[in-house]
Amino acid sequence: MVRKENLFIENNEIKLEAEYYESSSKKDIAIIICHPHPQFLGV
Amino acid sequence: MNNNVVSAVFDLFVNNNISCLRFNFRAVGRSTGSHSSGRGELSDVKACVDFLINKKKIDQIFICGYSYGAAIGCSMVEYSPKIIGYAAISFPWDFMGKKYKKLSNSKKPKLFVQGDRDNVANYGRFMDHYASYNVPKEYRIVKGADHFWWGLESLAAEEVYRFYESLMNT
Repeated sequence: MVRKENLFIENNEIKLEAEYYESSSKKDIAIIICHPHPQFLGV
Repeated sequence: MNNNVVSAVFDLFVNNNISCLRFNFRAVGRSTGSHSSGRGELSDVKACVDFLINKKKIDQIFICGYSYGAAIGCSMVEYSPKIIGYAAISFPWDFMGKKYKKLSNSKKPKLFVQGDRDNVANYGRFMDHYASYNVPKEYRIVKGADHFWWGLESLAAEEVYRFYESLMNT
């Protein structure tokens, strides 16, 4: 089943806002994308 | 995580049916916590890697980062053997200091995407920085692109996707 979900990832006491898309076919590999500095560029 | 470059990369991988995670570092958007000058943000990337491995049962992870996200994300390349390599868009070496160059200097495959009008991740010093990295490595120069990539973000995303595909085909 193809799906995109909004979720929070826990890092100790911190919760990280995230969006995850799960492939319908290639379930064994994933990409992580890291954004620019929020005080320098829009995120 | 809704930055134009991040969104271009995310959308391209999603449109090609590749599992993809984008997230906000601590203190950004609806993420909790406070900024911690990189140290905490490095652990945020670890948390994302752990999430994919433990919760989503992912066996291979490819990291892509843009600007500050390139310095932080690509510096976690050795955190797990399941990380197969990375793509760094507009890596701001001169802003971030030597620590992040050292941490990101892996022997895993890596791609650097750079605009020739970038004066933040300074194009004039790009080849000096690139030369200091271990192989395997590749780079792409995108003509007309500055640090913000407005109107050209799809070109950066396409370079990242092509590199990812080349890794999958080897």
